[in-house]
Amino acid sequence: MSRLFQFVRQWKPIIKEGFSQSFLIAKFLCLLHVTNTHVCTPVLVYGPSMLPTLNLTGDVVLVEHLSQKFGKVGPGDVVVVRSPENPRKTVTKRIVAVEGESVTFLVEPALSDRSHTVVVPRGHVWIQGDNIYSSRDSRQFGPVPYGLILGKAFWRVWPPDAFGSLSQE
Amino acid sequence: MSLQVFRHWIPTVKDAFDRTLMVAKFFCGLHVTNTFLCTCALAMGPSMLPTLNLTGSLVLVERLSIRFGKMASGEVVLIRSPEEPRKVVIKRIVGVEGDAVGNEEATAVVPKGHIWIEGDNKHNSRDSRQFGPVPYGLLEGRVFWVMWPPEDFGSVGRKVENNSLERSLVVKKHKRQKFQG
Repeated sequence: MSRLFQFVRQWKPIIKEGFSQSFLIAKFLCLLHVTNTHVCTPVLVYGPSMLPTLNLTGDVVLVEHLSQKFGKVGPGDVVVVRSPENPRKTVTKRIVAVEGESVTFLVEPALSDRSHTVVVPRGHVWIQGDNIYSSRDSRQFGPVPYGLILGKAFWRVWPPDAFGSLSQE
Repeated sequence: MSLQVFRHWIPTVKDAFDRTLMVAKFFCGLHVTNTFLCTCALAMGPSMLPTLNLTGSLVLVERLSIRFGKMASGEVVLIRSPEEPRKVVIKRIVGVEGDAVGNEEATAVVPKGHIWIEGDNKHNSRDSRQFGPVPYGLLEGRVFWVMWPPEDFGSVGRKVENNSLERSLVVKKHKRQKFQG
């Protein structure tokens, strides 16, 4: 019994130190999470739908969340959006029109010249990839509610030869 | 002489800084709990009568179910409005993806990744019958408990529609048609 007591007394400062270090790491991760969710976060973007603006094999872009919260996201911005087809997936596209505007788009640009005009309803935005031949966007799944926009991509960090701002088209 | 005054205030400034940091850490922890675990919401309006009050009910909302699995039909949820992105509304899920919703006049199939929401008070509710199916990504949380008013204190359960037998027949018929067509 006294041996158990001695054992605990020996380990107590180490356990205390372990706790305080874990708390420090937890506080850092908390701050990192708050920054990532509400201020700015890096995102890896890959796929052909935003060529030539973004690479096929993967770009790291910085996404800021403040514009979306203050309603300052508008046509021409590259945005990261939660996919309306698969809620666990996020897609990166460009906003072409906002609520109230009418959009004229090519339904199947590779096959025909047929175009279609749609008025974007209230509270929604129309997103399209820059590479309209290989992009699944509002032309397929319709206008997207503004609440699904996660943030605006404003700066490219990787690859290094393309480092710089994602200017509006 | 001014340097002495400055040195006199240093411990007070340090103390104030430490206390502010402690308050900031508390709010940080509270925010993380609110965003990922459980939060309160004040529900107002007639669209969820009789489940929730007209003049205001304080409800508890949990955020784990929407992340770790699909929401089932019949749950009361907190959802961001597809018409006004700054507004959050409380409605009940009537159909999930693949379900057929509607009555004798009009039937719709809920597309993949979307849900069909309706208020309990069918006569005074603006919901999917007006703005269509809503993407699953707009879900904010599941309402599971009413805290206030005291006479409504208690859990908020799932409620499957009264015509559940008819709905299941319609769903079966649609599934058969999908495979045959």
